[in-house]
Amino acid sequence: MSGTQTGRGAAPPAVELRGITKRFPGVVANHDIDIEVAAGTVHAIVGENGAGKSTLMKTLYGMHRPDEGTIAVNGARVDLNSPAAAIGHGIGMVHQHFMLADNLTVLENVVLGAEREHGIGAAARKRIRALSEQYGLGVDPDRLMEELGVGDRQRVEILKVLYRGANIVILDEPTAVLVPQEVEELFGNLRELKREGLTVIFISHKLDEVLGVADTITVIRRGTTVDTVAPADVTARELATLMVGGELPVPELSESTVTDEVMLRVEGLRVESADGRAAVDDLSLSIRRGEIVGIAGVEGNGQSELIEAIMGMRPAARGSLTLGGVDITAWETRRIREAGVGYVPEDRHRHGILLESPLWENRVLGHQTRRPSANGVWIDAAAAKADTRRIVDAYDVRTPGVDVLADALSGGNQQKLIVGREMSGEPRVLVAAHPTRGVDVGAQAAIWEHLRRARAQGLAVLLVSADLDELIGMSDSLHVILRGRLVAEADPATVTPERLGSAMTGAGLDEGTGEGTVESVEEGTGEGADQSDQPDRSDQPDRSDRPDPAAPDTPGTPDTGTQRPDDEDPA
Amino acid sequence: MTNTATGFLRGPYGVAAPALLAAAVTVLLDFALLAWAALLIGAAAAFIASLWLLPSGRPAEPAGMRVVVTASALASGLIAGLLTAAVLDLWLIEAVAYGIGALAGGAVGPLVHRRIPATLALAMVAVAAAVVLSLLVTAVLLTATGVDALFTFSQMLGYGVQPDSLVKVLNDGTTFYLSAVAVAIGFKMKLFNIGVDGQYRLAALLAAAVGGQWVLPPVVHQVVVIVVAVAVGGMWAGIAGYLKVTRGVSEVISTIMLNSIATGITAYLLHTDRLAVELGTNNIGTKPIPESGQVPGIPTGFMGANTEIYGLVFLAIAVGVGYWVLLNRTRFGFDLRATGMSATAALASGVNVKKMVVWSMVISGGVAGLVGVPQLLGYSHHYAQDFPAGLGFIGIGIALLGRNHPVGIALAALFWAFLNQSSQILDFQDPPIPKEIAVVTQATIVLTVVVVYEVVHRWGRRYEQQLVGAELGRAGVSA
Repeated sequence: MSGTQTGRGAAPPAVELRGITKRFPGVVANHDIDIEVAAGTVHAIVGENGAGKSTLMKTLYGMHRPDEGTIAVNGARVDLNSPAAAIGHGIGMVHQHFMLADNLTVLENVVLGAEREHGIGAAARKRIRALSEQYGLGVDPDRLMEELGVGDRQRVEILKVLYRGANIVILDEPTAVLVPQEVEELFGNLRELKREGLTVIFISHKLDEVLGVADTITVIRRGTTVDTVAPADVTARELATLMVGGELPVPELSESTVTDEVMLRVEGLRVESADGRAAVDDLSLSIRRGEIVGIAGVEGNGQSELIEAIMGMRPAARGSLTLGGVDITAWETRRIREAGVGYVPEDRHRHGILLESPLWENRVLGHQTRRPSANGVWIDAAAAKADTRRIVDAYDVRTPGVDVLADALSGGNQQKLIVGREMSGEPRVLVAAHPTRGVDVGAQAAIWEHLRRARAQGLAVLLVSADLDELIGMSDSLHVILRGRLVAEADPATVTPERLGSAMTGAGLDEGTGEGTVESVEEGTGEGADQSDQPDRSDQPDRSDRPDPAAPDTPGTPDTGTQRPDDEDPA
Repeated sequence: MTNTATGFLRGPYGVAAPALLAAAVTVLLDFALLAWAALLIGAAAAFIASLWLLPSGRPAEPAGMRVVVTASALASGLIAGLLTAAVLDLWLIEAVAYGIGALAGGAVGPLVHRRIPATLALAMVAVAAAVVLSLLVTAVLLTATGVDALFTFSQMLGYGVQPDSLVKVLNDGTTFYLSAVAVAIGFKMKLFNIGVDGQYRLAALLAAAVGGQWVLPPVVHQVVVIVVAVAVGGMWAGIAGYLKVTRGVSEVISTIMLNSIATGITAYLLHTDRLAVELGTNNIGTKPIPESGQVPGIPTGFMGANTEIYGLVFLAIAVGVGYWVLLNRTRFGFDLRATGMSATAALASGVNVKKMVVWSMVISGGVAGLVGVPQLLGYSHHYAQDFPAGLGFIGIGIALLGRNHPVGIALAALFWAFLNQSSQILDFQDPPIPKEIAVVTQATIVLTVVVVYEVVHRWGRRYEQQLVGAELGRAGVSA
């Protein structure tokens, strides 16, 4: 795997970036980037959100030009002033969010815009078959795109790039949309590409994956390259330290603050999706004052539906919700919020923020009926602004003021504002989905600290997260959700991320029985490892044209529908 | 300059000094030049002097943005000065009117320059650019058809500013304004109420019929007519809202259909067997509203016109103020805007989106119901077959032009009415110039404004992101 160093002397590097600097007015997104990608290797570029990975890749793909520095492809200096020029030099990019038309076939999607290569008929089909064969992609040119799962779609995107003659493939956070099994398949494909002599540049911030697939790893921090290492020489921990430039904060709780008083009780809850299928089935749990209850699960197993049912955004088909002894099953969202339930949504652009409104109006959002945002039927702008300033200070939201549009802030700062808002007004219950997703390390630690403090004061928290360390570290008790049911309960004090991960896929439940850390509450289904047919995975960006079941009467066309939670810094 | 002096000049004196300077220059120049020229020179000179001598107090901005801000501030000062002077000139002697006008213009310019947000300045420049562009297109079209464009424009301008024309512009602008506000309420929710046309015609017919039926005490009578109009308009639009939330019917489709149905219903009801009576030869209409229900006009003898301004121009002003207050100061308006910007985020914040759709359609229709009222109570006093139609569609263009802002809509409505009115003179030229060129100008201007504004909007957003980036970049360096 680390045989890359040997071949370097012979051939010129596939891509060589020297002293790349890219400035945006007022910010330096990249400076003094030096990267050398050897031909025929998988080269990973890792860094935190906002470290400048995307800016760099846009430079390499010709989407903007660097202010300083040079790019050389296969030893020759090139000037990449457009994606077309990049493709001309054999550089192709697979974007994080797929750009595919659902109602066209694979063939049609591949040839779209590349009709000159092999036409649009038999020749093109033959070429696609040949490429698919050569690289082991297993793509059938005549399947309709909407029949394909996420993994297949990604392979089609890779094929599109290969079809256009790329021999250097950039993959931008390719695993963000995949479940673990699909990630493995993708890595198989990447090794195949490498075997066929292609060069792969792989952008990620998931260190385990990077260590598993890359030949060389370049770490970017604050816009510049800090080190290039071989995966054999580093551990994930060391890599993380390189990435953040210091020790990683550790999610952990101090002594238990759990009381006997049940704050939120969910009993026998069933939530149905638009087609009548059970997204959440017979689910019961309770959260007590001062307790954080974690929900672990592969995305799309009913977490979103559970949360939206608790928030009153989806009706409960069966079962009941009780808040502090009061039945809230039939309540509207507003009444539930007024009763003291805070909500940190998983997709902040869809559910958490008005991008084209100033920060202080975003402070009002969700608190329209309560002081200090409102006074009777009136919005109290002055008080809302004052309170927004409080949040900006307390949660370290980086902004010049509270009158700038939310849009101007980076994703992490938007998230800090949302968390701060939802913790205002002394909530009794906080429903938090991925509260630290996309925020920088310092902010992550701060949000955890705020959660701990609120918990000590009696806040009951339902925590859904994809970050298993966060779940294990921050939860007083931990449930595993699979296909809408709670299938196991784990003890956060003893469970490991690996064991939790296998419990999430429905497999390996017995493994834990020796120590009793993961306790199966229900028979596993045996074939639960195969998640690829989960029909309601809410994080598929390519399905965003589907009507949203949570808002069936969305007036007009909500333009936020295509925006994803894992955004990068705009600059 | 010491610090105290700087603070002093940033305060009220920074405005008062240029205002006085402008007034002085204008009054002096008035002896030598035409009054309006004197005013323009005076206000501009004061503005430039204030730029030179006084601290602007603006944050650091790129050069391009500084130009934009300066230009829009200067333009607002000059326009404010000219308008003030022109209105005052109706009562006062010219030198005094223009002196006061210069005072206003000299104060507004520096004030705007200091306070205007960069994004708003961009928007103003965008609209100005669109106006110039559409006039250019019109000029090209005229020249291509062998008509002297400058002559045409000067004829239009000359006719448009005559007192009787101005009264007509104000009256038409009133109805246009109401129609555009009705459309804008829908736009704010991302709802496209194309049905304003049917809503106001049906509302005007039924309100006229009710108003003509009885004699009620004054005030009560007018209120009854207005309430009926609002109720009918709101109900008619509410049907579209109801269909949308219960059956998922696009409001675009349903309001177009409801327009046709409204046409059918009014034709059916406007028959002598039903709501109509003979109104002289060859015309039938509803029974005229007795004097107790009429709204007297504002006499215009002071400005030398023979017609009256609709008394209900104040109704339109009240609707505009109400629209602004509702949207920007109330919880309901916040929910409405939030739903328009992101229905999903609004839902998560506790807004009942379905209820908001129905309510905003009802309110939009209610305002639409008012569109015919100024004409009904102030001028015709009955609904007949010649009652103006198509105002709902004009409202769409004006709402777009005014960017759904109450002040923007008002300016757009007046501008639209001015083009309509001033083009009337073209028929009387020899050879006649087709007055449809006003329609060309209106259409071009709506198109260009929509496009240019979208571009400027993106610039503005990027500009703000850069400002934030710059701010944080500095913070990052110092930390």
